[in-house]
Amino acid sequence: MNKTIVIAVAYILAVSCSNDTNTTTKLNDYLFTLVSPKESKVDFSNILIEDADLNIINYIYYYNGGGVASGDINNDGLPDLYFVSNTGKNKLYLNKGNLKFEDISKSSNCEGKASWNTGVTMIDINNDGYLDIYVCAVSGFLDFTGHNELFINNGDNTFTEKSEAYGLDFKGYSTQAYFFDYDKDNDLDVYLVNHAVHTTLNHCEASLRHKKAPYVGDVLLNNRNGKFVDVSDSANIYGGINGYGLSAAIADYNNDGWDDIYVCNDFHEDDYYYINNQDGTFTEKLKDNFSAISRFSMGSDAADINNDGYQDIITLDMLPKDERTIKETEGDESMFNVQLRLKKLGYKDQFSRNMLQMNTSGSYFTETAFLNTVANTDWSWSPLFADLNNDGYQDLFISNGIQKRPNDLDFKKYVASAFKGRSEKEGIQWLYNSISEMKSGEIPNEVFEGDAKRFKNRTGQWIEAEPNLSNGAIYVDLDRDGDLDLVTNNFGHTANIYENKTNGSHNHITLKFHYKGNNIEGIGTKAIVYSNRQKQLKQVFKSRGFLSSVESRLHFGLANATQIDSIVTIWPNNTYSTITNPTINQTVSITYQDSLNIYKYSTQENKPPLFTKENLIDFTHKEDSYNDFVEEKLIPYKVSNLGPALAVADISGNGFEDVFIGNSSGQPAKLYMNSGKGFTISHQEAFINDSNYEDNDAVFFDADNDGDLDLYIASGVNEHKIIALQENRLYLNENGVFKRTKNKIPSNTFISTSVAANDYDNDGDMDLFVGNLAHSEDFGPPVPSHLLKNDGSGNFSIDLNFKLNTKVNQAIWKDINNDNTDDLLIATEWDAPKVYINKNGQLKPLSLPDELHGLWQTVSTFDFDNDGDEDILLGNWGLNTKFSLNFDGPLHLYHFDFDGNGKPESLLAYNRKEQYYPLNSKDEMASQMNAINKLFIDHKSYAGKPLDQIIDTKSINASLQLKVDLLASGYLRNDDGQFNVFVNFPDAFQLAPITSFNSFNINKVDQLLVGGNSFRVNTYHGAYSAFKGLIASGETNFNSVINYGIAPFNEQIKQTQCIKMKDKNLLLILSNNDTLQTYSYQN
Amino acid sequence: MNFKFPHYLFLLTILIFISCEQPQQPIEIKSSDFHNAVDQLTKIMIRDIFSPPVASRIYVYPNIAAYETLNQDSKAYNSLSNQLNELKGLKSTTDLTNVNLNLASLIAYIDVAKELVFSKDLMLLYRDSLYTLYENKNRKEFITSKNYGIGISNQILKWMHSDHYNETRVMSNYNIYSQDSSRWEPTPPAYTNGIEPHWSKIRPFILDSASQFQPKPHPKFSLEANSIFHSELMEVYNTTNAIRNSSDTSPEVEIAQFWDCNPFVSINKGHYMFAAKKITPGAHWIGICKIACKTSNADFSKTVFAYTKTSLTIADSFISCWDEKYRSNLIRPETLINRYIDTEWAPILQTPPFPEYTSGHSVVSGAASEVLTEIFGNNFHFEDTTEIPYGLPQRNFTSFQAAAQEAAISRLYGGIHYRSAIEAGLNQGHKIGHFTNSKISFIKH
Repeated sequence: MNKTIVIAVAYILAVSCSNDTNTTTKLNDYLFTLVSPKESKVDFSNILIEDADLNIINYIYYYNGGGVASGDINNDGLPDLYFVSNTGKNKLYLNKGNLKFEDISKSSNCEGKASWNTGVTMIDINNDGYLDIYVCAVSGFLDFTGHNELFINNGDNTFTEKSEAYGLDFKGYSTQAYFFDYDKDNDLDVYLVNHAVHTTLNHCEASLRHKKAPYVGDVLLNNRNGKFVDVSDSANIYGGINGYGLSAAIADYNNDGWDDIYVCNDFHEDDYYYINNQDGTFTEKLKDNFSAISRFSMGSDAADINNDGYQDIITLDMLPKDERTIKETEGDESMFNVQLRLKKLGYKDQFSRNMLQMNTSGSYFTETAFLNTVANTDWSWSPLFADLNNDGYQDLFISNGIQKRPNDLDFKKYVASAFKGRSEKEGIQWLYNSISEMKSGEIPNEVFEGDAKRFKNRTGQWIEAEPNLSNGAIYVDLDRDGDLDLVTNNFGHTANIYENKTNGSHNHITLKFHYKGNNIEGIGTKAIVYSNRQKQLKQVFKSRGFLSSVESRLHFGLANATQIDSIVTIWPNNTYSTITNPTINQTVSITYQDSLNIYKYSTQENKPPLFTKENLIDFTHKEDSYNDFVEEKLIPYKVSNLGPALAVADISGNGFEDVFIGNSSGQPAKLYMNSGKGFTISHQEAFINDSNYEDNDAVFFDADNDGDLDLYIASGVNEHKIIALQENRLYLNENGVFKRTKNKIPSNTFISTSVAANDYDNDGDMDLFVGNLAHSEDFGPPVPSHLLKNDGSGNFSIDLNFKLNTKVNQAIWKDINNDNTDDLLIATEWDAPKVYINKNGQLKPLSLPDELHGLWQTVSTFDFDNDGDEDILLGNWGLNTKFSLNFDGPLHLYHFDFDGNGKPESLLAYNRKEQYYPLNSKDEMASQMNAINKLFIDHKSYAGKPLDQIIDTKSINASLQLKVDLLASGYLRNDDGQFNVFVNFPDAFQLAPITSFNSFNINKVDQLLVGGNSFRVNTYHGAYSAFKGLIASGETNFNSVINYGIAPFNEQIKQTQCIKMKDKNLLLILSNNDTLQTYSYQN
Repeated sequence: MNFKFPHYLFLLTILIFISCEQPQQPIEIKSSDFHNAVDQLTKIMIRDIFSPPVASRIYVYPNIAAYETLNQDSKAYNSLSNQLNELKGLKSTTDLTNVNLNLASLIAYIDVAKELVFSKDLMLLYRDSLYTLYENKNRKEFITSKNYGIGISNQILKWMHSDHYNETRVMSNYNIYSQDSSRWEPTPPAYTNGIEPHWSKIRPFILDSASQFQPKPHPKFSLEANSIFHSELMEVYNTTNAIRNSSDTSPEVEIAQFWDCNPFVSINKGHYMFAAKKITPGAHWIGICKIACKTSNADFSKTVFAYTKTSLTIADSFISCWDEKYRSNLIRPETLINRYIDTEWAPILQTPPFPEYTSGHSVVSGAASEVLTEIFGNNFHFEDTTEIPYGLPQRNFTSFQAAAQEAAISRLYGGIHYRSAIEAGLNQGHKIGHFTNSKISFIKH
């Protein structure tokens, strides 16, 4: 009886639900509207019948879906559509105009014969003016037969399969083909992306990629008079067993006129970045040019999205957006051990999220997906950059969805749990049956609007946010109305055709190219459109996104511009032609002519760089093996690797500043004496004796008023967390020998991060501010920091009038009110920065704007708005962080002994639509609080629950609560001595935590050198290394350090410092766990 | 709604039973009822996924509660009060004349067990169905026995809570940052953190301390060709290769698989993840204990005694073994073979996630076999059907020692232990078993 009721209720619910959806789909104000298959007659669906012999268990890419290609196969001016069916017949639809199509699959004879089809490209391979079709296949795996097929267009809407004649009948595990002319011999070669199928996770050395694996390894085929020949070996293309190749993005990334290749590899294999050596070979340079890449790289695309003339890259991954799904599936947070293992084996840092890699003048890429809100589109396949609203900027479409989520944690632990009492065969059948218990991964496709600065999510506005399963996708102007429509190949459902309703609201132009030789489509041609005081660059390649290919014409939106100043076409042979003032809102054909001039890419000017690399000090900071995360399992970042310490002063009195660098525990600090020409190490017994201390910060000052410079060192967490070795230290200078003092400074065993000397009480001796960050056993709570008063002979005592309980990262003395007395500026985290005005030895806090709690890393002053007074610069966490995914309100930290075991926990919770959710997964929480395992016996009962349904409200209310109001770095604007306004730095400064400001004078201009990055974070975050260093003279004038001859900052910058030498200046760049970099410059 | 559904059913059942008003009958609790309760606990443990050391703790406390409930005033068996570490002054608050001791014992077992698993609801479901049954048979007898059983189980729970288990939950994880090339590292495919690095801090039951039977140090780590360590490493490599080459169904593979006893074998096929879940080494010996009880037609008291003594020695074995594991922190053969010998090699069994020395299965098997031999005698032939529910065949043994020997050497065949860990482990286990036999007096003479 019960059952009947349940069914009845379910029926009512279902009925009412479907009614709801019916009414909502009637709303038709989307930029893109779905054309119904009834109207279009495009009824293709990629139908698969999963059974015990063929399913996600025995073929890991069973849910990857098929591609879609567009091109005008009958030269009637209308682009036709070809859809790949994995196991069924492929389909070809003729475009009859007005978004009506005719299925000519059968008569055209191009349905395909392979057992498993994947990607498709329409390409005129024989240059007869008719588009041919190349379809990739998986063959030789399981019982899959067949090979990649080439359907040659007979010119009469029929095709003949001729792959063998061309040498394109590749038999292996192909994903997609990328046609391009890499050797510039005026024919089309092809890079075939193939994929591994093996499932062992006994990770081998990364160097395995050098060992060719047939079927699996990617291949580069060179076109020799119409016959394709494998040249992978001689061209230096990897082809290893680990190559889980799922896509590639071809483009001339470094603007040298030769086309390069970015290959996306799934799982632990790195992506590949092949730079074309212009001699028929490539050099793989991922490690030199990228900091972090997608872990499960799927589809990709390349385009210049910020109009700087260099093509950028997006790679897709599978980071979920939905709070429930995040907590129900395995994410990066559980990858700590694997990550370390892979690093040892030679793999790159990889994180499971989309990566938006911005190309910086072809020299390196900075990853900005979080800043652009495109990092987490869930299980994503095909990204496409295109101007979807014709406003002159590249937008982004992403196809989404997976039939079943095989990485569901409950499924792993509690559903598909055993073969229990079954033979292997029965076991497989049983496992197969378990697939039906996996959760569906239907999710909406997503679309983002671009403005060359940041993407904004327009899902639900431009397209309907309707869950689906879309794999291959293309943009194509199907109705030739000047805007790009979208087509997706759907898994188990009818294909989507999205009609773009931009129509005439913005201007546009489409370019069609006719090149020479055996590349008449002009694959590789670039066009630069100059209009509206900006330039748009695009390059012709067909295969894009995932498994799919677009037309060879280039589409440009022009917004409201009524004319184009000029169009420069750079042909594959790097000659160029220019068109001025073409007629817009139409398709313009551009035909190659011989004897054009060679195009000169306006790359680096030839003047010598301002900075020259030097090697004057040989120092390497080496972190010890202490690991905060094994001690406190829920903390977001380490507080044990805050070194090295740097102090600079003229100790010897020769007029040149000497350099002290404190190391991490286990390594002695070093003192380098400066002769003006070079440095010699000063042997100091005391530093060797104290090498087990961790040095976080240091200052030279005259402690005992004897006229020479003494040294105070702020200590951090040492390798074995021995409390006695966390004491700060004072060393007195006795004729150049530094001797450790006893009982002259108050005991301080907190993690000290900052020491700054100043005679704040104006009594003729130097006093100190010592800033503390945390207790080494307890991440969360604030700790006291102190002013230490000097009694005149080097005995220091705490100034009891000054009370500060916070988490200090850095502090400086600086006169900010022009009263000739230095004031105290403090960068704090989980708190607002502190500014104390010194009035006759009394430090009075200055009132600052509200809601300024941040993760302030560093503080300095500089006239950033160029109005003549110094502003207060504050380095924060930045906006390109996983924290920013869930930041609808302040980030919270709760500190309390939640499980009542005598040890308090520091719990982070993020704000999603005004609800606070725990940042940590159930397993992470349980690793610190065993009770969680009893309260939540599976992942689904924990997932999607706000914090107050996980931890009892009483404990939450009793806990110490800290918050972060903002993540952006910026400055407190000096308005006539008032600092009432906080101004965000430009986006270029928000790419990672800023940890260092340093001002110097170059060419008689005050310049600011800004450094940052953080590798202190746990694997939930990954690593923040996108801030490559900027030199700025103000908020509107800044440049990458590479423009000055300084290598990009790939490490975690601790501090930079300038020192005068006899005939030049020296810049020191100190990073955590890295070698000191030195540069010389003249000013 | 799913969860509530069974409760409705129970309410319904209770209503039906009450309305029927059946005449009160004496409640008879047999050995098989106790076996059922142990099996029920095993089932929930598999569902919840407990590591071998934690599983050994979950087995032992309910047994002690059952044993103590049964034997407060027994003519045949001694109380363990004042025999086990820090277990003192157990008091029965009830007049025992109207108590059904077997029933009380079973109730105490379940009452302690429910506090140890994650899925408490599953244990409560089981308990409630039994309670309903017994209450309807004889409400008075049930209530009296229950009160007595719970009275003992509460005292056992109180003692249990002082064994430092809770404190060890929040201690530091194993740090993998070390550069020491002999130091254990997480192993494929899941690279799980080292399990229970602080298990030696759990209060032992019988042992004076976790390190009482500290084994001799393992052969000095060396990759020199003629060192003992290296030759043992090569023995693992060569043995497994030879087994693989011989046939898929070689006796060694069968032995390795039979004794795998890995509660959570992770399997990844691309993104498709699942796990083969099985019982732990301790659970296997609890299973052998059950078989011995059944084969020998042990009565209820002897059954509870056998389980209790076996689970005690197993629990201490894990404390002793884990003490050594995280003293020596020795690297697994899989890591070394992949790094230095053969990048593609994989062991026949999945390497479990903790340091190598000594072999846990060897220690546990050594200890359990000593104890079971003392209870059931030498040359006790038995058919080991413990693994049948997990898809493995039955194996027959002529004695507990023979089974222990095979369990120990299976780790070499499985490619997850060096010979020294097996031999020293078995020896360590024998000593613990002996010590259990000699130190604790169960049977009244």
